[in-house]
Amino acid sequence: MKLLIIEDERALRESIAGYFQEEGVICETSADYASATEKIALYDYDCILLDIGLPDGNGLTLLQELKAAGKEEGVIIISARNSLDDRITGLNLGADDYIVKPFHLAELKARVMALFRRRSFRGNNQLQYDCINIDLPTMEVKVDGNLVTLTKKEYDILLYFIANKGKVISKNALAEHLWKDEIDLADSFDFIYTHIKNLRKKLADNSGKDFFKSVYGIGYKFS
Amino acid sequence: MKLTQLYNRASIIITLSILLVAGIVYYIAIGYISNKQLDKDLTEEMEELSAYINHKQQLPKPIDFDEDQASFTSIGQQKIKRRFVDTPFIEPGTSKAEAGRAVVDMVSLRGVNYKVVIAESKETTENLVQLISIITAVLGVLLIVALIITNRFLLAGLWRPFYLLLGQIRAFQVAGNNTIDTVGNIRADEFKELETAIRTMANKAADDYQSLKMFTENASHEMMTPIAVITSKLDNLIQDESLNEAQFEQLQDLYTATGKITKLNQALLLLVKIDNHLISDVAEIELKTTIKQKCRQFAEIIQAKGIQLHAELQEKKFKFSPYLLEILLDNLFSNAVRHNLPGGEIQVLLTETNLVFSNTGKPEPLDSEKVFERFQKGKASEGTGLGLTIARNICNNYGLQLHYHYAAPFHQFIITF
Repeated sequence: MKLLIIEDERALRESIAGYFQEEGVICETSADYASATEKIALYDYDCILLDIGLPDGNGLTLLQELKAAGKEEGVIIISARNSLDDRITGLNLGADDYIVKPFHLAELKARVMALFRRRSFRGNNQLQYDCINIDLPTMEVKVDGNLVTLTKKEYDILLYFIANKGKVISKNALAEHLWKDEIDLADSFDFIYTHIKNLRKKLADNSGKDFFKSVYGIGYKFS
Repeated sequence: MKLTQLYNRASIIITLSILLVAGIVYYIAIGYISNKQLDKDLTEEMEELSAYINHKQQLPKPIDFDEDQASFTSIGQQKIKRRFVDTPFIEPGTSKAEAGRAVVDMVSLRGVNYKVVIAESKETTENLVQLISIITAVLGVLLIVALIITNRFLLAGLWRPFYLLLGQIRAFQVAGNNTIDTVGNIRADEFKELETAIRTMANKAADDYQSLKMFTENASHEMMTPIAVITSKLDNLIQDESLNEAQFEQLQDLYTATGKITKLNQALLLLVKIDNHLISDVAEIELKTTIKQKCRQFAEIIQAKGIQLHAELQEKKFKFSPYLLEILLDNLFSNAVRHNLPGGEIQVLLTETNLVFSNTGKPEPLDSEKVFERFQKGKASEGTGLGLTIARNICNNYGLQLHYHYAAPFHQFIITF
């Protein structure tokens, strides 16, 4: 997977690149409008992370140019503006997703993976991880060929963890993904514990493997 | 009451009062002057009578007094001083009494004193007073009619620019693109000044609003990016397997604190947006469906806390921003959950006119004003302290009312449509 990160804030750009850096993923970065335009013209990417507020231009203009040039890249807008108008404008211009700062890298990764899956498989949308097979359109989960019934939340958690496989995911990131800010953090931590316990058991019962590793109370790692 | 009406009323009262006072003064003055005149006539009469008696040494016959009436009464040696009195006057040949003036005096004839009364009719004077009264009344009526007509047409014309300006001010929205237009030919300097002042003010308001909008966006951008850096650094830091448990604990605290800053910042920006009407998407909403969906969304946490949820919902369609409605309901629901007791109860009641969220909680009423103020939160609350402020401001700015009521054992938040 080839990724272009267009973000003017150096620290954030490096964090994102660092998190995505793994085998099979090529991350390139751009700090401004000019260099981004150049890179887009020269190379093809699977996914572009696009910050709207660039020092030398508006990210939305870049998006328009991209679409006008007939480029097929998937685009996720990164914006500090959580306004409905901007969101709608971005999506109308052909962006595939819109994520508002601040976000957890796990959330961004999950969105990128979802976009990548949608674009690369088209129709036959099966997700395979180890012995776990997920049919995305029907939300059917099979472990070692056995159908496992998951609740909506458990299914969400599983997809989230598979997208971030091998990474430690903080409980805060998970809580925000599952509930946004509907419930208090302390309550959501209890729920996360329960959901993961149940999911872990369902997967282990059918595969004999324990996929989840608890990391010092801060979160979980899926591998 | 309209200004013209107020002005009409005042001017009519003043005019009528002055006319009334003038009428009274006329009446008294004319009465006084005519009495003086009559008294002078009567004195002359009296002197003529004295001269007659002195000359003829006999009392005159009544026929000798033209219009006047005279009477003589013997009073022996008694003496009388000359005085003038008002007296009824009976016209010869009729029995009708009319107002009259009389002089009472004394004449001496052959050593005998006679009391003489000469009376004269005041009819002429009375007629004069009547005439003046009528003229005054007619004048009054004419004046009032003139005043009303003047006020109606002249004042209405003069005040026209005012009403035109008022209409424009009413229609003016800082968020909109409308400006205050000139209202044409204004004669009064005051209204010219008013027009200029209003136009300046409107332009300034629109400018301020624009810069506030810019500020909101910039503040959002400027603050969210550093927070995003912190969050992303934390996300990367926890991947480090060489960290020990104590360090992870500190990272967890950092996560929680960063999360709080994020929520606080988002809540404050949302408040600014609501207060400035920056959110303007409106759609027809079936509230019952939306609330049912919210009930499902909160079912997990409600169940986990052992809270009973009762929802009694009627169908209710209304126009509102779906985005704000979502926030409003989220805030009211999480408030009802957050401040509830374990094993408590939540009631959601939707009627044609009201939406009521009732929840059990601390068995004492809250201050119904303070509960909506910024950063007024319970000690144990994990929230930002802005949830209810946001809820109230959403209601206030978009035509609903939200108030708090305690009906033991329920804390109630009531939205009136």
